[in-house]
Amino acid sequence: MSRIAERTHRRAVGVVLAVCFLGVVGWTLLSVSGWGGGGQLSAETPLPAIARRAMLQALPAFLTTEPVSAVVYGFRGFDTFGETFLLFAAIVSVVVLTRAKETRHGFIGEERAGHEEQQEEEQDQGGEQKEQTSGERDAQSAEREEEGRDTSSPPTPDDEPVGTQEPDRAQAMTVITRTSIRAMLPLLLVAGFYLVAENYSPGGGFPAGAVMLGVILMAYTAFGYARISGVVNPDVLEIVEQVGAVAIVALFAIGLPLTGSFGGSWVPLAPQETLRSGGMLQVFSISEFVEVGSGLTIAVFALLGMRHDWVESDESDDEEDGAGEEDARS
Amino acid sequence: MIVVNYLAALLVFCLGLYVVITQRNIVKMVMGLSLMETSTYVLALSLAYRAGSTAPILLHPPAGKSEQDIAHGNVADPVLQNICLTAIVIGVAVTAVLLATAVRLAQHYRSVDADRIRQLRG
Repeated sequence: MSRIAERTHRRAVGVVLAVCFLGVVGWTLLSVSGWGGGGQLSAETPLPAIARRAMLQALPAFLTTEPVSAVVYGFRGFDTFGETFLLFAAIVSVVVLTRAKETRHGFIGEERAGHEEQQEEEQDQGGEQKEQTSGERDAQSAEREEEGRDTSSPPTPDDEPVGTQEPDRAQAMTVITRTSIRAMLPLLLVAGFYLVAENYSPGGGFPAGAVMLGVILMAYTAFGYARISGVVNPDVLEIVEQVGAVAIVALFAIGLPLTGSFGGSWVPLAPQETLRSGGMLQVFSISEFVEVGSGLTIAVFALLGMRHDWVESDESDDEEDGAGEEDARS
Repeated sequence: MIVVNYLAALLVFCLGLYVVITQRNIVKMVMGLSLMETSTYVLALSLAYRAGSTAPILLHPPAGKSEQDIAHGNVADPVLQNICLTAIVIGVAVTAVLLATAVRLAQHYRSVDADRIRQLRG
C-alpha cells in the first residue's frame, strides 16, 4: 500500500508561487479599493458605460425588468452565443471521450464495404510483407473460427453480435427517500420552469437548466436508471440538445434579414412582467434552457456510465508492472 | 467589509494554485482548477458591489420612484454578474471534459498519478 500513498511534489515552489501571487494581487486589490471604507467601491464610483447603458435600456429596448438577463441574452447576446457553443463543444468532447464501443442495433458491414479499398491500399503499398500480414490475419481468424469464436472481440466488425444491452437494474432507495423525492420532484420541476418562463432570475435558462439536471439526478437516485431511461438516454437527449443549438442559431440568423444584424432583436415585445416580455430574450433563454439542461445531463450520465474499456489483466501482469516501476524508481 | 470577499477569493485561488502545482493526483489537480475558477466568481460579484447599492432589478420600485430612478441610481454592476454566469457555465464544461479525460487516463494507465503517465513525455 505504501506505493499508493500520495506525496506532494515541489512543495517549496508551490508555496513560493502561491504566496507571491497572493501578495501581488492582494496588494493590487487593496490599493485599487483604496484601503479604507471596508474596501468596497464607494457609491460615487461610476458604473462602466456598458453597465449603465444596460440599466437604462433594459426597459425601453426589451421591456424586461431584469437588466442582468438583458445583458446575458440581449446586449451581450453574441458573447452568450459563443459560450453556448463552447458548452456544446465540451459536451461533444465528453461524449466522444466516454462513449464505449456501442452495441449494434443492426448489421452495418464496414469490413465488407471497405474490402476493395483495403485490397487496393495493400497493393499500393505493395510489399510482400503486407501480403504476409494479411495472410497471417486470415490464418488468425481461421484459428478463431475453429475455436468457436471464444475470444472477446470478433475478428471483424461485421461479426459484432446484434442486440441491445440489458438496462441497469434499479437500485431503489428506502421508502422514506422515495416518498420525499416523489413529493419534491414536481415542486422542483415547476421551480425550474418558473425560472425560465418568468425570466425572473438573472440568467433564466442557465439556472433553470441546472435545476432540471437536479430533478433528473434526484429521480435517478431514488428510482434507479430503469425508471428514467425513457428520457435519459443518448438517443433522446442528444437530439434535444441539438434542437436547442439549432434554435439558437436560427434565432440569431433570422435577425440578419429582419434587422440587418446577426442576433438583432426581431421577436415582437410583449408588455413588461408578462410571460413573453423580453421578446427575443425569452426565446433565447428557453433555447438555452433546453441546451444547458440536456447538455449537462448528457455529460453527467456519460461520466456515470463510463465502463471499463480495457481487457482485464491477470495477477502476473500486475506484478510485472509493479516490479518494472520499482526498477525505474531505484 | 467587502475587502474580506476579495481576500477570500484570493486565498481560494492560491489554494487551488498550490494544489495544482504540488499534487500529482489528476483528480486533485482537477479539483484545484475548480477552486481557482470558483474564486473568480466571488471576486467578480464582489467587484460589482458599490457601497449601499441595490440589486440590478427594475421590479417594483419603492413608492414615489420610477424604474428609471433605479436605473440611474446606485446599483450593482449587471455586466460583472453576467460574466459570473458565463464563467460558471464554462467552469462546468471544463471540469466535465477534464474528469472524462481523467477517467480515460486512469483506465489506460491504471493510475491517476501524473508522474506515472509517461507516454507523452518527449
